[in-house]
Amino acid sequence: MFLAEANPLNASELIFPTLEVIHIAGFAVLVGTIAIVDFRLLGLGLRRQKAAEVARDLGPWTLIGLTMVLLSGPLMFSSDPDMYYLNRSFQVKMVLLLVAIVFHYTVHRKVALSEAAGFGSKAVAWISLALWVSIIFGGIFIAFV
Amino acid sequence: MSISETIQSVGFLTDIRESALVYPIIMSTHLACIAVFGGMILMTDLRLLGIAMKDRPVTEVVNQFRIWKRVGFCIMVTMGALLASSEAVKYSTNPFFWAKMSFLVLVAMHAIIFRPRVYNNTAEIDRAPTLPGIAKLAGALSLTIWLGVLSMGRLIGYYEGPGSPGKPQATITRPVNIGQLTR
Repeated sequence: MFLAEANPLNASELIFPTLEVIHIAGFAVLVGTIAIVDFRLLGLGLRRQKAAEVARDLGPWTLIGLTMVLLSGPLMFSSDPDMYYLNRSFQVKMVLLLVAIVFHYTVHRKVALSEAAGFGSKAVAWISLALWVSIIFGGIFIAFV
Repeated sequence: MSISETIQSVGFLTDIRESALVYPIIMSTHLACIAVFGGMILMTDLRLLGIAMKDRPVTEVVNQFRIWKRVGFCIMVTMGALLASSEAVKYSTNPFFWAKMSFLVLVAMHAIIFRPRVYNNTAEIDRAPTLPGIAKLAGALSLTIWLGVLSMGRLIGYYEGPGSPGKPQATITRPVNIGQLTR
């Protein structure tokens, strides 16, 4: 309670929506670039490029998107920590986010950079898409649970 | 009944509005499409600006994403239309909603203007020694317009409607305003 009221973020009513716009633009960059690699792994796009090339092209942009959400997200959290901390959807979202980031920089990266195509890489692409889309659902449901 | 009242009184739209689950699911799907397919629009724009995917031909980037951008756009618009029409009375008096619609008109104008010269002309763009100015212009304008669509879309949830004093109100200390329109 004390934190929320003392937080300068709550001084102007435009700050929060601005952070939200940065957050949404950030996850569009983050999830969009990962999804492009996933679509490539599934053979649904950029088929003339190797998955590894696409992944290398987009890696820096994924990191830019991740930075945008990891800067704006905690700031939004700080506007009302009690509400978020106790919010079931927020809790689930944070667990999924942690899993997704670890998955992305370990399994996903390994599969995307190795040229091996096949069932395994398709499964990884579907898991990646499912994880990131669930995180977006988790974010929206914060306002509805 | 006004037109907006008639629209939102349609059976399934009333169901959407009154459902605790369907409304946020539709909204999440709308946002997931922004991420997956909006990301493709974004990367296409950045390629046209010569900032991202520089080693890939413009033709590849534009053509390979085109079908998915269209599919995504259709889902995104369908979900958005469901959200807006289920709350037609509130949306019809929301200035941010109309600002968003105006930006979407700009999206259409952008397509009409730049499709023949850029998006359907990628072979020539790839042959040019440096990226032509018109390709960069198309990318920069597209980015700007979509940022407008995104910002206005987010602000829709902050408008409290006529009768509330002054400017749009933001519920800053308890940011549950995404669902404000439905509550």
